[in-house]
Amino acid sequence: MGLLSKKDSKLILDPLADNNPITIQVLGICSALAITAQLKASIVMTISVLFVMGVGNVVISLIRNVIPSKIRIIVQLTVVAALVIIVDLVLKAFAYELSKELSVFVGLIITNCIIMGRFEAFALGNGVWRSFLDGIGNALGYGIILIIVGFFRELLGSGTLLGFQVLGDPIDKTGVYAFGYENNGFMLLSPMALIVVGLIIWVQRSRNKALIEDH
Amino acid sequence: MEKRTEKNSYTVFFAIIMVIVVGALLAFTASALKERIAENKRIEKQQNILYAMGVNENEGNKANFVSKDKVGESFQKYITNQLIIQEGNESQDDNAYLIDIKKEQESAKSGNARRLPLFIGEKEGKKFYIAPIRGKGLWDAIWAYVAMDENMVVQGAYFDHKGETPGLGANIKERFFMDDFIGEHLMSNGTFKGITVSKSNGDPKNEDKTDNEVDAIAGSTITGDGVTAMIRNELKLYVPYFKNLKN
Amino acid sequence: MEHIELFFKSIFIDNMVFATFLGMCSYLAVSKKVSTAVGLGAAVIFVLAITVPLNWLLDQYILKEGALVWLDPKYGVNGSETMDLSFLSFIMFIATIATMVQLVEIVVEKFSPSLYNSLGIFLPLIAVNCAILGGSLFMQSREIASVGLAFNYGVSSGIGWFLAILAIAAIREKIRYSNVPPPLRGLGITFIITGLMAIGFMSFGGMLTGGDEEAKEEKTVSVNSSEETEKEAKDLANNNIKAVK
Repeated sequence: MGLLSKKDSKLILDPLADNNPITIQVLGICSALAITAQLKASIVMTISVLFVMGVGNVVISLIRNVIPSKIRIIVQLTVVAALVIIVDLVLKAFAYELSKELSVFVGLIITNCIIMGRFEAFALGNGVWRSFLDGIGNALGYGIILIIVGFFRELLGSGTLLGFQVLGDPIDKTGVYAFGYENNGFMLLSPMALIVVGLIIWVQRSRNKALIEDH
Repeated sequence: MEKRTEKNSYTVFFAIIMVIVVGALLAFTASALKERIAENKRIEKQQNILYAMGVNENEGNKANFVSKDKVGESFQKYITNQLIIQEGNESQDDNAYLIDIKKEQESAKSGNARRLPLFIGEKEGKKFYIAPIRGKGLWDAIWAYVAMDENMVVQGAYFDHKGETPGLGANIKERFFMDDFIGEHLMSNGTFKGITVSKSNGDPKNEDKTDNEVDAIAGSTITGDGVTAMIRNELKLYVPYFKNLKN
Repeated sequence: MEHIELFFKSIFIDNMVFATFLGMCSYLAVSKKVSTAVGLGAAVIFVLAITVPLNWLLDQYILKEGALVWLDPKYGVNGSETMDLSFLSFIMFIATIATMVQLVEIVVEKFSPSLYNSLGIFLPLIAVNCAILGGSLFMQSREIASVGLAFNYGVSSGIGWFLAILAIAAIREKIRYSNVPPPLRGLGITFIITGLMAIGFMSFGGMLTGGDEEAKEEKTVSVNSSEETEKEAKDLANNNIKAVK
């Protein structure tokens, strides 16, 4: 990465693997489970979180020296809530169809612990540019997990990807369905999301032994 | 000396400033965009009503509405009349489609007579009667526009929801579900039966149109039950009107 | 009767952790020991028990469409300038929750410094805990009818969450001595076990969705005079609204 120093590029690359918000930091789980039944929803959510974390980290970093410590949490929450509400209103006015898909997620973004977690852990103590990178990096790390989970859940659960039938038509019995394959409807139900994430963790920690816990 | 940001007076001062700034920002954004948002909602209603009666730009298996710039014209062209039915009396109102069904349902709960909007459309010589209905899904509200002929046989339907699960309950907006309703009978032997979203339908391609049933969506039982209840409770209110039509 | 139904429904059928996956972050991170799990669970019940009814009052008298009718009738539902402040819901709910959590933090620090230390960052994170905000938002969207029911809902949702974290903590303590494959140890196996428990809890959901033509009376309505039909429809509609809740 020519633009960024080695330290800075670490801010973006780390959360994609060794410091992943979902699988290592244990943040942002709720939404990862709730909306990943469709790949499209995972992608929309990732883009929204990218925006909120990028802008949010910048704002908090800018005002970090004037926030009174007693109401720190409330200030952070207010910033996120205000950002998300404004995004929602702007979308409703200029991209109405998209906003309808997003309104389900609005509440989930505000309470997404990743956003608050990174404000606390990074933006409050670092400069604006680095906070921005940290926000983007963590949002991407979050997004990768969401997309992997969404990919498997939609593929195995409905036989579609982004709404397009990729395995054949289940009612007319073409493609893979001609051999007796049936969609695993179970994958669409939330408990399977938990198990898929568990499996992702398994793979991740097998490849990087340093992440293994003691018990 | 205590750091400036630790003092209580500063905390209160900051809090007040923050409330004012955020409050002003949100209020400003909300009011600046209010009209555009209201206009978008109005256009959406028109698109939904036209969709239910088959005026749309469907491609492949995706649902596509008449585009925003053409919808005003199409609405004027295809919707010939708008009625409000209240306690058996009909009145005409060109803004009947703007009536908020949620408010009507709440008002009816406190004992007022329910106002029932009905939109009459015409396409290629055929007459459509479109009713707006509203109900409860698993998480939040669901609503629909159901187009019928004079025998209360469904000609088309559009469903929507506020917060159902993507991939599950949210699929009531997909064509594979909505198209199933086309041709379904609401009446059976002169009595109103509605349409039941059923798991034991045994008819996945929905070829039997007089069974008063439609195939359910796997994993969305409660949303499906909500659709069934909504159709039954709301469309039943229109039965007297259709009976009068026959006479 | 409504209270009992809501109570059991919120603990088992709509369990915050297993049915709606709210509050997972703290659930996963603080469940290594039963004692800390119990502490956090109790704090969650307490915060929910207070914030849900409080937010209900806020919603009823300030936020809902037409709620400001007590200020001036024209702001009401049937008035000329119906006010709908529900876009402020998030912020106001979060404000009440954050204040309550601040209170809880002070109380815990005073009475049990060890619990305070072991909870670490997760005590202030209760404010963001989607379970707490989720409790208030569900109370709003499911249109819970009275402040008593709101209190009931808050307590029972909290108990559901408490049961969940207690169960997983107990299991995690037990499997410390089991042969879990190294990469799965800790977080990984917890995810999988929680997934299995969630599947188990789905069995309770069967009480709601089981059977095809169940409790809702299948009334075949013959087309008689319009007045009778209207009245019957109104009654059925009111009953169904209650039954679906």
